[in-house]
Amino acid sequence: MQSKLTDIELIEQTLSGNQSAYADLVKRHQRFIFTLALRFAKNREDAEEIAQDCFIKAYKSLASFQGGSKFSTWLYSIVYTTAMTFLRKKRVDTSSIDDENVYLQLENQHDGMDNNYAEKRSRTYYVNQAISQLLPDDATIITLFYNGEQSLEEIADALGMEANTVKVKLFRARQRLKEKLERLLKNEVKELI
Amino acid sequence: MNTIEENLWNYIDGTCPPEEQEAISRLIEGDEVYRTRYHKLLALNEEFTNLELDEPPMAFTYNVMEAVRAEAAIVPLKSAINKNVIRGLVGFFVLMIMSLVIYAMFTVNWSAGGNSELYNYKLPQIQMPAIKGALISNAFKAFMFFDIVLVLFLGDSYLRRQRPVKQF
Repeated sequence: MQSKLTDIELIEQTLSGNQSAYADLVKRHQRFIFTLALRFAKNREDAEEIAQDCFIKAYKSLASFQGGSKFSTWLYSIVYTTAMTFLRKKRVDTSSIDDENVYLQLENQHDGMDNNYAEKRSRTYYVNQAISQLLPDDATIITLFYNGEQSLEEIADALGMEANTVKVKLFRARQRLKEKLERLLKNEVKELI
Repeated sequence: MNTIEENLWNYIDGTCPPEEQEAISRLIEGDEVYRTRYHKLLALNEEFTNLELDEPPMAFTYNVMEAVRAEAAIVPLKSAINKNVIRGLVGFFVLMIMSLVIYAMFTVNWSAGGNSELYNYKLPQIQMPAIKGALISNAFKAFMFFDIVLVLFLGDSYLRRQRPVKQF
């Protein structure tokens, strides 16, 4: 059962030495942080490592959290930097937003390997598949906007960008997602959109 | 210039100014193209909003807290020594040295002349024992052997401690 205390109250308790308060914070945010990490890493093992690393970094610098923004926004900025460092270490090129060749192979794999037809019929499955084929930047912005319930300003804060840049990136990311979805669904997309 | 889709997304997100919002609203009502695209994007927006989050492994929280506990166990070792205690000790020794220097400066007889007995002082002749025999004795060899073994053992222990630990 999760704590009913606010993030700020849990942070205060953690800072005064109550580690179980931090466990509550982890439980509260772990699903989203893990999902966000998965947008970068593309596999569960790496995503788990990034998410775990992020929570440990957050714990170590919890005292520096000023409370000027939401704790979740602060946490997302840590995920972003942690994931970027992780990917850099793994020498995966994530810097170019236009270079889709990296994911072309992955995309083709998805086209032919699905045997679970029942799951394939699920709309959520298709959307998740389409998101997994996006570049990490696009997938992150979409996840932050829709799953993280973050405003454009908060996303900008977490990613260290201007709000207008995030707005343009979000528009482009949605366009790309729509295209991926159309490609995945082919005829079925007409039913969906 | 914004495209129809860009305008519609701004309308759905509510990120455009009120007058633009009103203009788009009128276009949706009156323009068939706008209306069709709007409904398509709205359905898509609904799909994105209902996206499910991925579930981390069952032991995720436990693993994080274990790492946090390990981290917390390391931190006190670093911070257990109160810096004020160190500052106090440094201050005490500095004060002691300064007191000794000041005391020495006040007690030294600065008017001592050049003909003092100090200048005529000669070191006593000390007869050193012959060490040649001692260096080749069995006891000395055993002592040196023990020392070498001890140095190797301590050096090995030190290098083992230097092995990098996993960084969080």
